[in-house]
Amino acid sequence: MSASQPQRTSSADPDVRTAPGQPAPTAGPLKPTERPHPLTPFVRGWLVFVAIAIGWGREIVTNAGENQFELGGLLWILPVLAVVVLLAATAGFISWYFTRFVIDDEELRIDTGAIFKKSTKIPFERLQSVDIVQPLAARIFGLAELRLDAGNSTTKLRYLTRSKASRFRDYLLTRAHGYQASIHDLDQQSVASIFTDLGVADQPLVQVSPQRLIVSFLLSTEWLIPAAISIIILVGTTAFQMVPLALGALIPLLIGMLSLIWRRVIGMFNFTLAESPRGLRITRGLTNLTSQSVPINRVQGVKTSQPLLWKPLGWYRVDIDILGHAHEDGENSESTASSVLLPVASRDEVELALARVLPGFDLDRIELQPSPKRARWLRWFDFWTLHYGWDDRTLITEHGWITHVRDVVPHAKTQSVRIEQGPLQRLLRLADVHVHTPRGPVNAVAHQLDDHAARELALSQLDRARAARAAEREHRAVKMVRGDDHDGDAELLAGFGIGRDQLLGSGSESEVFALDHERVLRLYRSRHEAPRQTAAQLRALYASWHGIDIGVELPMIMEAGDYRGRFYTVDRRFSGRNFSSWLQQADIAQRRPALISFFDATERLQHLQSPVPGFARLVGDGTPQQFGTLGELLSNMLMGPVQASRARLERDVPGVSEVWNRLHTDLAQRSVAPALVHGDVCPPNAYLSQGPQGPVVTGIGDFSPHTLNADPLMDLAGAVIFLELEPYAEAPADAAWLQAVAVERHGRDIVGWIDVYRRYYGFYFSNAYEFDPNLYAWCLRQLGR
Amino acid sequence: MDELFAPPAYEWKRLSPKYRSMRILTSLVVPPILFTIPALIVGVTSGKWWIAGLIWAAAVVIVIIRLAFVTRNWRSWGYVERDDDLYITHGVMFRNLIAVPYGRMQLVEVESGPLERAFGLASVSLKTASPETGARIPGLTPEEATRLRDRLTELGEAHASGL
Repeated sequence: MSASQPQRTSSADPDVRTAPGQPAPTAGPLKPTERPHPLTPFVRGWLVFVAIAIGWGREIVTNAGENQFELGGLLWILPVLAVVVLLAATAGFISWYFTRFVIDDEELRIDTGAIFKKSTKIPFERLQSVDIVQPLAARIFGLAELRLDAGNSTTKLRYLTRSKASRFRDYLLTRAHGYQASIHDLDQQSVASIFTDLGVADQPLVQVSPQRLIVSFLLSTEWLIPAAISIIILVGTTAFQMVPLALGALIPLLIGMLSLIWRRVIGMFNFTLAESPRGLRITRGLTNLTSQSVPINRVQGVKTSQPLLWKPLGWYRVDIDILGHAHEDGENSESTASSVLLPVASRDEVELALARVLPGFDLDRIELQPSPKRARWLRWFDFWTLHYGWDDRTLITEHGWITHVRDVVPHAKTQSVRIEQGPLQRLLRLADVHVHTPRGPVNAVAHQLDDHAARELALSQLDRARAARAAEREHRAVKMVRGDDHDGDAELLAGFGIGRDQLLGSGSESEVFALDHERVLRLYRSRHEAPRQTAAQLRALYASWHGIDIGVELPMIMEAGDYRGRFYTVDRRFSGRNFSSWLQQADIAQRRPALISFFDATERLQHLQSPVPGFARLVGDGTPQQFGTLGELLSNMLMGPVQASRARLERDVPGVSEVWNRLHTDLAQRSVAPALVHGDVCPPNAYLSQGPQGPVVTGIGDFSPHTLNADPLMDLAGAVIFLELEPYAEAPADAAWLQAVAVERHGRDIVGWIDVYRRYYGFYFSNAYEFDPNLYAWCLRQLGR
Repeated sequence: MDELFAPPAYEWKRLSPKYRSMRILTSLVVPPILFTIPALIVGVTSGKWWIAGLIWAAAVVIVIIRLAFVTRNWRSWGYVERDDDLYITHGVMFRNLIAVPYGRMQLVEVESGPLERAFGLASVSLKTASPETGARIPGLTPEEATRLRDRLTELGEAHASGL
């Protein structure tokens, strides 16, 4: 069979090569498409042959117990086999004949199918990894399979010559990382060889020698247990002279052991973890050579494990959860992507590899906590190995004695959290906490914690996950701006006739540049929809105030736009200078009148019209959102921040629930007509000009999602209490003085209400513990009063 | 003890009382049906009807135990939509509490089998990238189920973040 096939394919070959105009199913303009290598159907047919041979072989083996290799009875299978192989070969040929692909500067497209045409076009950016696999048969002919991983689907292109496959791989990875490149530029610098697949530029990080691989395998628990059982069965049955009886048990056991050898030794042979210019790369395999890139941004967790007998040798095995991989249970390794980062490695090597996969992870810095002693009643077999701990980036859990397992999950990858408690655990006041990660070998469970610790761990893990995700988003947004978009920035700024030297200030959301005396340019960092939405709402709000003169300059958005996906607004520039920076250098004689004018300006804000009547949120997601009472509105405002900071507050503020309840009772008693509340009247948001009688606050800017239709006292209280946050020495004294001014104007009662709003804002900004310790300390002071 | 599973600063939303009725019905009907067939087979084949009686008695015991737990089980379910995540709790003997951040939800499904439909009920399940999440709220009224689905989808989009 093997003789006829190559002939057929090679005879077809010349015609095929010279007929590239063969209309590909969805190819619009004529473009030189290629077929995979003509030997492809032969190699694939070979695989079918091998599969059949294995199936047949198994039949013989399983029948061997009863009838002593009755080959004669199985001979009828040969013609059937020939037909099957022929059919498979034809199918393979047809599939090859109708497969065409294009990999060029514009696109990556694979067209397949004789009757049902299918065209797969993968955008370069969607490619998550590009692997090269060389099954034994393909390897003999110098062919390789290109495996393209995009989202949750894997597309295989087989077979190409090895050099072509590596060239395409390098090109595609370059494009996948967002760099422009031309397929023609790539020289053949990194060509996979028949033995290994390391390019010239690849630096091996860890190489596993065959000796170590084999020794570690022989000492691994997974191998020792079936080996021990087989020996026991063999010895036992030989002693009682019942060997045939044992075969039923031994054969599946042996097959399992062989497959273990296949996966753990043959599949992992010559395992090399290398650093290539485009990330980590693994090559491995004795018969089937696999080269696989490790997409670090898709690593969802890491598991290190150490079988008991590896301990004296100081060896570990490292597995990783990679998003989208591991539909198989981890190490279906002969040719598919596997989750093994290192099959066996010393501690130093593990650290080296982990430093690449989880940058910034430092095991020694994380304080591990043991489960309480009473866990021994439930986990008598391994209670002393149960630990958990976290730092600001990752969570760690440990368990196991026969195989010691440590699961590491970066907070940002936490999917969900579960607390579980069975009846026995309830008696002992213990509970388990599961931190869920995508499918894969990592399974982080903190076993048998004290129930309070469990709740604390679970709830705070959600907070940490949220903070980590926010930080990651921020990081990405900033990176986008700092990275490839910087030219775009300069271009945008140049379009407005300015440069980066016109920067007035920058916050986490946006940067503000001076355009001229009248206007500023606010350039948002994030490509996210949120700032657009907020800006649109603010623009409408400001427009509704147009023509209303309250004696205070208000912000105005004159223009909003997009430049290459970056969102910007052109705002009216406030006259004067920033109040906060002025306060820091002014002396007390100047400050006091200015503070009075600041308080005046705050009072005037209430004369602004709210677009909706009643108590309401005015800006942000899902607004305007109206509420029946002040209390309902404000508890809604507090929900988010308090939920984030609850665990911290419970720790840092004694009797916090009492403070919380008191705030709600107080708010319920407040009866007031709703008025516009800026929500964040503080010196950094105010502007000061020189008036005839000295410096006067003339403008208030930066309305935001803090803006409400609520109690007008909130802003008066805010003007007083936020002053305490100003970074100059006399700020608290000034705040106390300003409160006296407020009492003079509004009567003694206001003190009580300022205290209520102190507690309100203390809760409102309490999530600052994540990003501003100074503000958080202020919050604690407000709540402790 | 209950505080271990309480949501922070919120009240649980409970399931529809019809869910309890449905559970009572299934508890009354399913074990007797399941046990009757083996009981009949044993009785007919061996003629020892006292064994069949024992099997039936076992069915009755199971029904009683399940009935005893139905109300507690129904009451043990709770869910609450917080600003950033959804909490679900259930379980009488084996309790658990799961918290799913909206940003992690990939799929929100409303399901309603024939029995549930007969009782005017539906359930909502959430899928994240993790197969272990397994968050499901049964026994909702269809209106609440669709509201929850729409709300969660909306929140999921608003909170969406890469993986």
